Amino acid sequence: MRTHIASLVCLAVLAITSDARAQEPPASLAVFPPEVNLSTSRSRQVFVVQAVYPDGITRDVTAEAKAALVNPAFAKLDKNVLTPVADGATELKVEFGGKALNVPVKVKDATVERPISFKLDVMPIFLRSGCNQGGCHGAARGKDGFRLSLFGFDADGDHFRLTREMNGRRINLALPRESLLLEKSQGKVPHTGGQKIKDGDEYSQNILRWLDAGAPLDPPTVAKPVALELYPKNAVLDGKGAAQQMVVRARYSDGTDRDVTALALFLSNNDTSAKISPAGVVTAGDRGEAFVMARFATFTVGSQVIVLPKGLQFTFPPVEERNYIDTLVNAKLKKLRIEPSGLCNDETFLRRVHLDVIGVLPTVEEYQRFMTNAAPNKRELLVDDLLGRKEFAELWVMKWAELLQIRSSNQVSYKATLLYYNWLQDKIARNAPVNEWVQELLGATGGTFKNPATNYYQNETDVLKVSENVAQVFMGMRIQCSQCHNHPFDRWTQDDYYSFAAFFAQIGRKGTDDPRETIVFNSGGGEVTHPLRGVVMKPKFLGGDTPDVAGKDRRVVMAQWLASADNPYFATNLANIVWAHFFGIGIIDQVDDVRISNPASNPELLAEMGKRFTSYKYDFKKLVRDICLSRTYQAATQANPSNEGDTRNFARAGLRRIKAETFLDCISQVTETKNKFPGLPQGARAVQIADGGVSTYFLTTFGRATRETVCSCEVKLEPTLSQSLHLLNGETTTQRIASGNLLGRRLADKATPEQVIEELYVRCLSRKPTPKEMSKLSAAVAAEPDKNKALGDLFWALLNSREFMFNH
Amino acid sequence: MIHAPHKLLAALFAVALSASLAPASSPVLGSVTPRGGQRGVDNVILFNGARLTDAVEILTYSPGFTVAKLEVVNDTQLKATVKIAADCRLGEHVFRVRTKTGVSEMRTFWVGNLPVVQEVEPNNDFAKPQPIPLNVTVHGVIDNEDVDYFVVECKKGQRLSAEIEGMRLGNTLFDPYIAILDSKRFELAASDDSPLLGQDGMVSIVVPADGKYVIQVRESAFGGNGGCAYRLHVGTFPRPLAVVPAGGKFGEEVELTFLGDPAGPFKQKVKLPAGPVEKYGVYAQDAGGVAPSPIPFRLSEFGNVVETEGNISHATATPFELPSAVNGVVSKPGEVDHYRFKGKKGQTYEVHCYARRLGSPLDSVMTIGYLNGGALVSNDDAIGPDSYFRFTVPEDKEYVLTITDHLHKGGPTYFYRVEFTPIQAEAVVGIPKVAQYSQERQAIVVPRGNRFATLVQVGRRDFGGPLVLSAEKLPPGVTWTSENMPANLDTIPVVFEAAPTAPVGALVTSLTAGHVDPKLSPLKSRFYQMAELILAPPGQSLYWKAEASQAVVAVTEEVPFKITLVEPKVPLVQNGSMNLKVVVERQPGYKAAITILPLWNPPGVSSAQSATIPEGATETTLTLNAAGNAEVRKWKTAVIGVATVGNGPVHVSSQMATLEVAAPFFTFAMERAASEQGKDTEIFCKIQQVAPFPGSAKIRLMGLPTKATAAELEITKDTKDLAFKVVVDKTTPPGQHRNLFCQAVVMLNSEPVVYNVGAAELRVDVPLPPKVNAPVATPLPVVAKPADPVKPPEKRLTRLEKLRLEQEEREKAAKGDTTEPEKKK
Repeated sequence: MRTHIASLVCLAVLAITSDARAQEPPASLAVFPPEVNLSTSRSRQVFVVQAVYPDGITRDVTAEAKAALVNPAFAKLDKNVLTPVADGATELKVEFGGKALNVPVKVKDATVERPISFKLDVMPIFLRSGCNQGGCHGAARGKDGFRLSLFGFDADGDHFRLTREMNGRRINLALPRESLLLEKSQGKVPHTGGQKIKDGDEYSQNILRWLDAGAPLDPPTVAKPVALELYPKNAVLDGKGAAQQMVVRARYSDGTDRDVTALALFLSNNDTSAKISPAGVVTAGDRGEAFVMARFATFTVGSQVIVLPKGLQFTFPPVEERNYIDTLVNAKLKKLRIEPSGLCNDETFLRRVHLDVIGVLPTVEEYQRFMTNAAPNKRELLVDDLLGRKEFAELWVMKWAELLQIRSSNQVSYKATLLYYNWLQDKIARNAPVNEWVQELLGATGGTFKNPATNYYQNETDVLKVSENVAQVFMGMRIQCSQCHNHPFDRWTQDDYYSFAAFFAQIGRKGTDDPRETIVFNSGGGEVTHPLRGVVMKPKFLGGDTPDVAGKDRRVVMAQWLASADNPYFATNLANIVWAHFFGIGIIDQVDDVRISNPASNPELLAEMGKRFTSYKYDFKKLVRDICLSRTYQAATQANPSNEGDTRNFARAGLRRIKAETFLDCISQVTETKNKFPGLPQGARAVQIADGGVSTYFLTTFGRATRETVCSCEVKLEPTLSQSLHLLNGETTTQRIASGNLLGRRLADKATPEQVIEELYVRCLSRKPTPKEMSKLSAAVAAEPDKNKALGDLFWALLNSREFMFNH
Repeated sequence: MIHAPHKLLAALFAVALSASLAPASSPVLGSVTPRGGQRGVDNVILFNGARLTDAVEILTYSPGFTVAKLEVVNDTQLKATVKIAADCRLGEHVFRVRTKTGVSEMRTFWVGNLPVVQEVEPNNDFAKPQPIPLNVTVHGVIDNEDVDYFVVECKKGQRLSAEIEGMRLGNTLFDPYIAILDSKRFELAASDDSPLLGQDGMVSIVVPADGKYVIQVRESAFGGNGGCAYRLHVGTFPRPLAVVPAGGKFGEEVELTFLGDPAGPFKQKVKLPAGPVEKYGVYAQDAGGVAPSPIPFRLSEFGNVVETEGNISHATATPFELPSAVNGVVSKPGEVDHYRFKGKKGQTYEVHCYARRLGSPLDSVMTIGYLNGGALVSNDDAIGPDSYFRFTVPEDKEYVLTITDHLHKGGPTYFYRVEFTPIQAEAVVGIPKVAQYSQERQAIVVPRGNRFATLVQVGRRDFGGPLVLSAEKLPPGVTWTSENMPANLDTIPVVFEAAPTAPVGALVTSLTAGHVDPKLSPLKSRFYQMAELILAPPGQSLYWKAEASQAVVAVTEEVPFKITLVEPKVPLVQNGSMNLKVVVERQPGYKAAITILPLWNPPGVSSAQSATIPEGATETTLTLNAAGNAEVRKWKTAVIGVATVGNGPVHVSSQMATLEVAAPFFTFAMERAASEQGKDTEIFCKIQQVAPFPGSAKIRLMGLPTKATAAELEITKDTKDLAFKVVVDKTTPPGQHRNLFCQAVVMLNSEPVVYNVGAAELRVDVPLPPKVNAPVATPLPVVAKPADPVKPPEKRLTRLEKLRLEQEEREKAAKGDTTEPEKKK
């Protein structure tokens, strides 16, 4: 009974706040689109009105706002739809909650009929209705005997297939209504896909108009869409059920624009928080953040939608901001009404930063030194110290070796692999600016022994794969899809793909004195042909210009653009890769899956880091230093109620399983045992393994990258049963404890069990045991006559503890 | 033109052969340790292998070695004390071990100028290197991940050079890396690979300050194993990387400029040999010593031009006259060297750019074009990275030759030499490999009173026509038999025979080929033999080889068997087969089985892989088959016999015998036949008589399906046609049996000539089931009967005619169905 009353009370409170919101005057008002252009008689424009309240909450007030045309002679207003009447200009006046706004309205060619267009009017229907999806007619072999190009990348081909491929069947120009195209899509005859459009609706009418016109193919002069706009750009919805209508407008090459809300395909990357209907209405769900997208022609654009619990009361606490990272992370958290976790303690920081920066645990001495250091800036001093250590370079050589696929194979000898690895190590150890060595790598010419950077082009010799790899590693783009069709979730078209591949079409390779060596050079000949159109593609930067490559090494031209500020993706991509290393998750995640439909969780932060990295002259260490010194990085892992559900906004530190190589090195370090890997001297660390082909059972089990692909997903951090069993029973723990004989030596040195327990804790976990742990453990050890065995058990237990396995 | 073959017989000290040791044959030579020695002193060398018990000689191909003492340690090891002459050529020398019963593989030994010291482990710690004096050669081994450090004491301004022989020792894939480090561990010079020495490296510095310097040696990828032996020369010797000019005229004294030495360029005068010398090279020498390995140097009968400074355009091109050679250095990145010459229309030249072949880092690109005009011909890589083309002068004009680096590199040691030479025909003689990558039977080893056969191959370059082989010399009592090599063949068999009295011994000799027609000008010819010493991935890539320009001919002790090929009295007919009979003459008590191998099959003839004369037996046959297009003529060939004597195999051969390949006596045109199961048929053959034969020939139809038979028939030289009656059983499998042919056996000189002739097909059908509802079944037999009497002029009908007849009858019968029954009844 009491609960019932309580919930009634809650409801009443909710009602009050909701009402309060309705009556409260908004801080500002916005109308989308910000201006209305109507051209030709069929043109129309839907608009939405968004009210922004002082606390940042937004509401779609289109229905409540008063709207009227200043001069109704030029246009007609029906609810929120404007249609042309006569040529001229006027304004739409919108009023709500005491705020008013005038939107310019221009009308042109009000009585001119725009001729029906296959590409502009019919093709979008196929995309919107799902006809050309991969599961339907867009499949490589079509569906039920009829094929359309996937997501409409080949409009000319689709026109051919509709009108010519099966004469007199798919369309019927004598009786257009009886065309199979219409009958199937309207479900009048059996259609596996069911009814997609209704007889008489806008889509049916457009198809019919096209058929009535004789099913023409557009003249080559027909305008092409050049940009897409989705309004509003962002929305903060207050509680479940709040809604926001979206408006989509396309801009064309002839300068016109068009309301394509009815033709766009809407998607949301988080249906739980913000679901979007086919008509473009976003409905709020659970608390969270979503990116809603509209797809039209080859464009995908998105808007950010934040959903908050109804009536949430929140004040952002005062949080220290040590640098721009904290400022930008906190700005996002404020928007989300999330409070960051507190600062981690010194012990945690010491262990975390050691593992992240140099891939080894702090030694007992390092622990003592840091913990007893009273300097207020001791964390900063520690970071600077670690950045200067050789292990820092080794850790990042490994990271890059994964991305550059440094691995021996039938084509690449172990010697070449080692030389390549050492070349990279030298660059990183000397902190060579990243753009410089990337340019050197991608423009490399010479023998694979004499100039080891050329091995980049020996590891992968397929022109298309090389271009895909370059895009994925250095720009974070997966352009593979656009090899066969326009990228479904990104902007890349086949033209972009093959134009980029043209940079790698002139790589010459020849043998030399040593059978294991290959000379990579600019052959000056070779082109890439567009498979659909059969034309030779001019080299064009991905998302950039078409440079002059005549008489030059195309790769050098490409490398100079790629690793420079001219390429908007290079610096941010590297910054994202570095960020992901320290947080376990990228600002864009996965780091090599940069696309419009996978937006950055904090675009401002990513952009700023990219800008800083560029201004640092691509000094990698400076970027790492910024991250490590930020409060964001030094946050504790413990969640507070506001951030416990958040995983993407860095409100608290994440728990990260230590990578295979580093983990093995940690075990070797704490047990004082040595590794032996093929091709490396005794005692080498696992991060030093040059050849991706070399592995051990331990490394494979814990997910070491095989470097067979450039994918960041090669490194596996998921727990598996074999990992647990190996640590419980395998040679890596028990045998190493025995062969390292650390306990034997300590006991021989007359150390007390308590001293040994404390050392083991500091060695493995970089902390002292709690008094409770100590009292229980010393009692247990005291009860066991064989001290070595008892302490060995403790050592084993520590190595098997989650606290040891994770960086926290 | 070929350097006079020099052979040095080892002083034959009495080799104490223990009676208990079994007589050996076919010695095997594996490793030789140490891998080299110092000239001018005695060196003790161990030869490890198998069946070495009766070793008598170290057979060298080049002068400078005297075997002072040869001891057999056991069957697998020999110990030789070898005096190396003070003027022995430095570098690699090839040799074999000869036993009384055989000759081993080719192996190599390296001669150096410096005293040898041994590596002493542990020397793996930079802090505790092995001290060595300057000017020594260290013999060491790189084990897995081994790093060897040696320390020397140097004075400021002194030159410190190190050069390693690793891969070149030919042991195993060993790619060494060497470096000179100062006492603070800074690398002053390092070398992994070098254009001059391949995978082996060399470093040289001018010492910056008095003190200790450490030489580091390791495998370039931290590999290594017990086989990775090296010879590290450490000293004050010069180690230039280039020489200009890189060639000179026979017999002249030339002044050479050596480049790339850390002490700077220096000049040296060299008197060139009067005639060709294999693998000639020049050794840089100064007060600091002599470089351990030479820079390869071209000897030529034509003159020499060295580039003039600044020859980087058509206007500044260095002039020269044809035929001759130009020499220069691509001294800066991107530099293009120009030379101009006058050409006479129609003259053709071989144009070789020698760069990498001489050890230059240059990856040449060479072009020729008109003076002030465009390029006519160009080449990047033809012989390794070196450029080559053949240039025919298109008109009487001036031309420009350009040389540059493919990757636009350049530097003071990027030297090259371009030779223009008139085209000269050349024949390269060799012994083809019996097995890939193997040295088996690459030496000619003839037992006394017996024979040895081998194939000889001749590569013809820029000429054609038949060839005659000749040997410069042969051991006493050895003769050889061989036909002239026809113009269309590049391989022929040769049989060597040693008289029973021929002394056991060996010599190295040149085998050459010349024109059969004495009116033709003498042919340039040389012998070439190669043994792959290091093969390794990728694929079976060749990293190091031993080469010889002479063949070894040896006489060995008698073997207890001798084989004879019984020369056939009849020809091998095209499409025919023959059993060659081989008989063995065994010495009393020798019973081992003998394997007979074909030595060579004439074009279009194939044979069994081998045949065996069983233990104790005296003969066997080897089957030969001739293809339909086998060349018709008389050939000479022999067979090889191999048997175990003592503990190893011995190869001997038969005499050279004549084998005639002839056209068939007659050919058949056979017709296709068809039948049903259980129904007989006939197969007809029209005979085309080609050559008369005595008596009658037996003809048997072959390839019939099971349960189908045809009797053997006989024909004479006058028979025109033939019909086989084929009995087809009810169970004969139905279908199209395509491989029917006739086997003809003609008896000639009381030996059979067997060959296959004709081709036919037989179709066997399943009989049609009797029609269930057959109203016409009864009238038909009635129809057939009246036809019977009209048989007498039995004309043989072809299958087609039969089918037509059948069809006619069917049609008639069909008509009869409707209209004719009336009449017939």
